[in-house]
Amino acid sequence: MRRASVWIFLAYLCTPSFALYQEELYREDLRIQPLRDGRVSTTFSFVTVLEGAVPRNPKALGQLDESQHYALFPLTLGQILREYAITELHLTLNAGKWNYDNWGHPHEAGVGTGAELWAWMGASEVTTVDDRWSGLRNALSGLFCASLGSLDSRRTLSPTVAFPLSGSAPTFAPHELRHATLPSENVCTENLTPFLKLLPCKSHAGLAALLNPQKVFDADWHGMGIHVIWKEDIGVELKLTLQAVFNPVRTSAGKRRDWNLQSLFDRSIERSCPVASSSSITVVLPEETDYQIIPDYPAHVDGLAIFDLPSSSNFTFPSNIAMNWPSEHSFQYPLPPLTPVTPLSVKRTIHGTTQTRGVLSVFVTNNSPQEISAGYLEMMPALLTLWMHTLKVEINAQIRNDLLSGLKYHPPSLQSNDRLSPSMLQAVLTIPPQTTLKISMEVNKAFLKYTEHPPDAMRGWDLPGAVFFPLPQSSRDNWERIYTPTLLVDLPTPDFSMPYNVIILSCTLMTLIFGSIFNLLTRKWVVVEIQE
Amino acid sequence: MDRIRGFLRRPRSSDANVARLRRRKQAAAYIHRNLRKLTTTLFIIGYAWMLLFPIPLLSQGTYIDENALQPAQVNTYWNWGDVHTADLQLYQLDGIQERNLTSEQRAEFFRTEFSKLGLAASIQNYTFSTSRGTISGNNAYAVMSSPRAAGTEAMVISASWLSRAGHGTLNLRGTSTVLSLAAFLKDYSLWAKDIIFIISDDYLHGMHAWLNAYHGTIPSNLYTDPLEHTSGVIWTALNIDYSSHSFSHLGVFHEGLNGRLPNQDLINSFRLISHYTGGVPMTVYDHLEPSDTVGRLPEQSVFPSWVPPFIQQSPQLQQYRYHLRNVVRHIGYQARGMCSGVHGLMHQFRIDAITLFAVPADGPHGFHALGRIVESTLRTMNNLLERLHASFFFYILTSPGTFMKIGMFLPSAILVSVAMLFKGLGEWVTAGWVYEISEVSSKGNETEKSSPAKGTWRNRRRPLLSALIVVVTTHVLGVLVFNLICSRWFASILRLFLAPTIFVVVSVIPPMLLPILSTNASEAAPTPMLLKSSNLCLASTVISIMSLLNFSLAAMLAIIMGVPLATSYTSSSTVTSRLRYACYCVLAWGWLVLAPGEVESAIWNWEVLGVWFAPFICIVYAPLVMQAAIVCLQGHRSMAA
Repeated sequence: MRRASVWIFLAYLCTPSFALYQEELYREDLRIQPLRDGRVSTTFSFVTVLEGAVPRNPKALGQLDESQHYALFPLTLGQILREYAITELHLTLNAGKWNYDNWGHPHEAGVGTGAELWAWMGASEVTTVDDRWSGLRNALSGLFCASLGSLDSRRTLSPTVAFPLSGSAPTFAPHELRHATLPSENVCTENLTPFLKLLPCKSHAGLAALLNPQKVFDADWHGMGIHVIWKEDIGVELKLTLQAVFNPVRTSAGKRRDWNLQSLFDRSIERSCPVASSSSITVVLPEETDYQIIPDYPAHVDGLAIFDLPSSSNFTFPSNIAMNWPSEHSFQYPLPPLTPVTPLSVKRTIHGTTQTRGVLSVFVTNNSPQEISAGYLEMMPALLTLWMHTLKVEINAQIRNDLLSGLKYHPPSLQSNDRLSPSMLQAVLTIPPQTTLKISMEVNKAFLKYTEHPPDAMRGWDLPGAVFFPLPQSSRDNWERIYTPTLLVDLPTPDFSMPYNVIILSCTLMTLIFGSIFNLLTRKWVVVEIQE
Repeated sequence: MDRIRGFLRRPRSSDANVARLRRRKQAAAYIHRNLRKLTTTLFIIGYAWMLLFPIPLLSQGTYIDENALQPAQVNTYWNWGDVHTADLQLYQLDGIQERNLTSEQRAEFFRTEFSKLGLAASIQNYTFSTSRGTISGNNAYAVMSSPRAAGTEAMVISASWLSRAGHGTLNLRGTSTVLSLAAFLKDYSLWAKDIIFIISDDYLHGMHAWLNAYHGTIPSNLYTDPLEHTSGVIWTALNIDYSSHSFSHLGVFHEGLNGRLPNQDLINSFRLISHYTGGVPMTVYDHLEPSDTVGRLPEQSVFPSWVPPFIQQSPQLQQYRYHLRNVVRHIGYQARGMCSGVHGLMHQFRIDAITLFAVPADGPHGFHALGRIVESTLRTMNNLLERLHASFFFYILTSPGTFMKIGMFLPSAILVSVAMLFKGLGEWVTAGWVYEISEVSSKGNETEKSSPAKGTWRNRRRPLLSALIVVVTTHVLGVLVFNLICSRWFASILRLFLAPTIFVVVSVIPPMLLPILSTNASEAAPTPMLLKSSNLCLASTVISIMSLLNFSLAAMLAIIMGVPLATSYTSSSTVTSRLRYACYCVLAWGWLVLAPGEVESAIWNWEVLGVWFAPFICIVYAPLVMQAAIVCLQGHRSMAA
């Protein structure tokens, strides 16, 4: 009896934490897709849902927050979200260049090279959005061991059209967007470890057991993403994603494209994660039929083979999934002409050989038989000045300004801390079917103070990629944001390798000029008699 | 002692100023008195310095400046299997050679080969229009997007279809090396930069068209489409030239267009890699070192036969001769602004590039050594965190392991130009004064004839205008001649006839114009003196400016113009002055008739590659010499008048 009452008491103690959030759900999924160039794209997604949770109202930031008790949701992340009253958060850290033409659209749209962070926050008088943005950056950079702290006002913008709220908009406050990218950020093991710590089973069980840093970071492309979205009818959803594009042709001895989980990750799933409500591996089956999949897939839905892990009726631990092309001796790459997989392909370059000016050109090709309207967003650090009067839209060297509409341009503005914010160029492009549109504009490269140069000054500066996005009103196109590769630009750079020579020479020059001018100014002119 | 103390002591008040002014005057007078000695000394030191370039004292050992490079510090994976791939490629290329495929078919073949490897490959068609007709061709290239890399930086491995060995030699082995390297390099994930493989058409213009298209700097006479595949900023490039069956040494060619040089770190790293990784000695150009030539056929000796053999075979002289060959070859390329290989086209785009030339021999090296060396060099280039910089761009390689720093060769040309400047300024001062024998003293006492006639120095006007008109006229004439030789008429059959005509016309026009210009006012300085003064000052300025931009050209100008311009003088005899005039004309414009091949190549270089040598010679060099020529002639006329 007494024992029972103790249990009841304990249960009573624990109730509030579960009372707040009716339930926490965790599900994980791995999607594997063989690509036409022999590579294999894998996407892990780990979703934790706090059912019924609501983002913190920023107006209540001054007051004491409700206590946070989570069973599956990572507390470290939850604290950050509550502390800065973040409604929606997206952080991606990627390495490599996503090849849209051959790989198609990624499963998770955020594939821009480097780090990208954007958050929707409610406005409030208690703490400004910018203050919370700065706090969020620093907190996340501590959490993920990434240089997100440098995503400061020189890189922050608010491109609301291209990056809308993915979930629902809370009614308690008007919301603002902060978006920043850091193209030179690299993703590595030190980012994966904190990422895995956010998972309920870490990398001990379930799909995350496959995440072997040695293999993941050897992949041709890899990236991780953290997405926090609030959906009114569901609650707060945390989605951790990890994408990697493996190249079995490169790593296999016989240059074959056969893959299995063991060969891709050099790990196997020993046990399933007990708290996961669902845990599945989905293989996207190729269109041609000369492949062989082991074990024979049980469900065949729209060209997908789905393996459910916990219901291990057809799946025995340790498990392996393999795909072979038995008829192939070695993989034959498809020969040109190859039509790109995506309806739009984009190429962006910066031309010009001088260190002071150049031309930024973007080539957008519509590969589909119908006309495509796309938003074009350029977020350019103030290192480059875009000259809008030189903006040209061409098709086959013919000026077609009618294809560009809704042009918005915000030149760099001086911030309170004497720094220039990036410039933002946003426009709507209409690309006729099967044509290539060329947009070009002249740019000036900034002359920096010598203290503003990074230690590797002669490398140049990384510029973030442009973003092409589907327009909100057109529901017809089903494509997602496209990021162009990043660019490297050479600014006028002094030769830092010989500072003493430079200092000595310039000082001598200054002294000579100053000395002679001073001499002339202070001299008294008299007539002197010289006897021969 | 007191005098020294007095000299050193700080002079007081107005006395001090007087003393200083007097001292300054004395110094100026001293310099003016000894001007001839001074300029002669400067000339001699300058020219002697140039002769001493090859001595070891002025050179120093090469070293690696950029720590990130870490040359020859990696294990290479290129093995005999890859050599077999290269051999198979070579077999296919031999077939292409036998079937005599057109440029398009060839490019298509290369594109397919690259595509089979899964690389993004494409073809670039291009057409240059020049006054000598159009040049067209097709480049094949492929971009290897490195795994995990953002693709913001790139390295280039290239081979031209024609070898630099000349006579239409095909660079078949170089091309197959590029193809097999493409197959090999894509299997590694350690590349931090994209790698671009280019097989350019012909020898030079293919790569030139590709580079211009890549950087969006398409000149008006080039027609090409934008490239289908691009990558990031190209930092470094290797061009492979391997035409013979096998090779004994790898020769490095480094001179670029308009006298640009690649960063020396690249050459130094390559030397270490070639030596330690491939076991292949590097040479500068295809010049073998004296120690390497022991077992080979004796080359043409520079010494006459009566020189005793112990002198001929002395190691010091052998070494001097070897260094001299390298320096002369370097100056030959750089002064003419020519590139010594396909790599030279890249320097203008801030790409550090060299050509690896497999020096033809019976052995012992082949694809195996070359592949390993290129792989290791790529790894070294891959290590770069920033562009090669460190001001390692001014040097003369005297041997693979030694080089001259800029401070060791620059003063020679500068000394000559200083001598010319002194001479010109001296002439200017002389022109301002005239010595007049005073009437009184000469008439006063007839008996005192033995005593020297007393005279006074009188200031006279220096009307610079007529001299300036001559200067401007000659340069305008130079522009006209340049336009003429770049025209279509010159290119057509008329050339044999037109070149001598131009020579005659430009030699005859100045004397005909002279009567209009000559001023015979006795109170003014004679025009020839002023012309000579301005001519020398101008030439000296040109030489000293050029010495920083293109040292070899400055040195050549110093050698060719230095003494002739300084010694142009007004001769009293008509025959002598006409003869001198003719000599100067030949010096200025003689190349029109005497070196038609050079003219042709200089014009081609200007029109296709944008080398400034041809316009520089026509518009700067020849007019300067013509001004000296006019000094001789005009002096004669004004004297005669």
